[in-house]
Amino acid sequence: MPWSDIPAPYRRAAWLSGYAFAAVLAGSEIVILALALNPNVNADYRAYYIDQTTTCLNRDAIGSYTLGETVSFRSDGAKRAASIKVCGWSGSAGDGTHSLGETSRLRLEIPPLGHGLAATLQMAAVIRPPQITQRVVISVNGIRAHAVTLSGKEPRMVTFIIPPAALGKTDTLDIAFDYLDGIPQTPAASNIYKRSIKLVSFRLDAIDTD
Amino acid sequence: MALEDVARPSAGGRSIAVAVAAVPLLFVVSGLAIRYAAFASVSEGSGFAAYARALCRWDCAWYIGISELGYERFPIPNQSNVGRWGFFPFYPMLVAAIRVVFPFPTILVATVTSIVCSYAACLVAWPLLEKNMRAYVLYCAFLLSGPFSFHFTTFLTEPLFVLLTSCVFLALKRSSYLAAGVSSALLSATRLVGVLVVFATVIQMFREHREQGGSTLSFPRWVLGRPDLLVAIFISPAGLFAYILFLYLTIGDGFAFLHVQRAFGRVAGNPLVFLWDGLSAVSTTGWLPTAPQWSALAAITGLALSAVLAARRQYGAALFCALCIILPLITNLASMVRYVIGLAPLTMLVAVLLSASRLTYLAALVFFLGACYFMTVAWIGGYLALV
Repeated sequence: MPWSDIPAPYRRAAWLSGYAFAAVLAGSEIVILALALNPNVNADYRAYYIDQTTTCLNRDAIGSYTLGETVSFRSDGAKRAASIKVCGWSGSAGDGTHSLGETSRLRLEIPPLGHGLAATLQMAAVIRPPQITQRVVISVNGIRAHAVTLSGKEPRMVTFIIPPAALGKTDTLDIAFDYLDGIPQTPAASNIYKRSIKLVSFRLDAIDTD
Repeated sequence: MALEDVARPSAGGRSIAVAVAAVPLLFVVSGLAIRYAAFASVSEGSGFAAYARALCRWDCAWYIGISELGYERFPIPNQSNVGRWGFFPFYPMLVAAIRVVFPFPTILVATVTSIVCSYAACLVAWPLLEKNMRAYVLYCAFLLSGPFSFHFTTFLTEPLFVLLTSCVFLALKRSSYLAAGVSSALLSATRLVGVLVVFATVIQMFREHREQGGSTLSFPRWVLGRPDLLVAIFISPAGLFAYILFLYLTIGDGFAFLHVQRAFGRVAGNPLVFLWDGLSAVSTTGWLPTAPQWSALAAITGLALSAVLAARRQYGAALFCALCIILPLITNLASMVRYVIGLAPLTMLVAVLLSASRLTYLAALVFFLGACYFMTVAWIGGYLALV
């Protein structure tokens, strides 16, 4: 019904109500917009979804680990490996666990240390000519531990000593793999789908640091 | 055609009303029969439940999840990056509400609800098609028995989106701005692009103002002097804002529906580049267009039809449809065919154009019914262009 059809005595009240309702709607929408423009989220959410500074959405996943144990990242070790994978992985598959995006992370709980640690990883590069090598930077607890360039389709054993500064008194190892040569699905595809390596196995050994 | 005969001026209003109600009902039945035949030809199961499950592909599973479990908080369970936040709440909420009354499996309730919505969308289209019976028959056939009828009869937002879009444009046609505003509010809670229909409302207001002899410059003052128009405008995005508030209160991010697109691999880019990439994705195995080519062609056809709407002075509908195509095109071509065929003003325009001559009308009708079978088989088989 057009407003002009409202009987005169009620018309003014209807107009005022209309303006008031419109003002409430507009005000509510401005407030909601202001809230949305100031999200109240944690750093991990912000980094992945909003700022898009990482392709690896950090989670509080952490797996237990016994020194000297070799964890397979092929299909046969999927269940064991699942607990230490944080983000940036796809699979496990028959040829290993494939990296996804520009960073992958593992996190594991280790017993108290009175010694140093050596990590042994079996990894293969994902190759699509002209990209025939993959540079990987490995950091432990935020400290750069090793850099390696993988080439060829066959898995390669990579061994490095974890810097003592990365160990400190912590009982947790947060291992980040940063890929400098990830291969996008297509030129326009999202970087969350980049492929770089296949992780085949992982192992930590105690070493004498004296 | 018998149906045309009933619609002749000599026929009484009652027989026309019966025809208007019966035509979509006929296509509901024929569509079910054709799609079921397609389902039976590729599936081992039988029965309506198995049929409904088989047609529940792609996004359908997300809507079932929302209808049954609601939205996740953060962090998302099972170490997933993809939350359900990208899928708007109104239709799954509606299905959940109906399921309270009819406690059947969600997909069955949703399938019946979708058919009812599409049927209702046909009825609403009758006055929008200027009571052109040929166009009406084609439109009903397209929605309920056509090549994309599975989109309008399973648990996707298209049935409700088409119904609400038609309600908005019918309300605008009758200058019922408050009704248009309320329908727009529901539309904006159904799909993100639904909020864009507010531009069509403002354009219709402007048109009415001009028809009353008002000048362009006096339009803002005219609107500000009419609280009913202000309410209609501000209530139009209310569904979207309600969802933003919900996301803020539960996740802390009101724009989570946008931000989660990253986890689906959607990246903002140049729509023209996406179109070119799609058209360039030539098949290496046959002559049929590839899925990206179909998607690019759908977007181009949709934009061309929007231009035709504009040429026919339906500026509001033209702008709404063009924006509904361009906005998703900014991320990529995914689901473009579904987005285009879900734009009611475009499909109505196609129905009007094809009904211009008896030959094209009959050919289109036969094509729609025949293609329904093969496209349903392709949908069940997971053909990528139909996602």
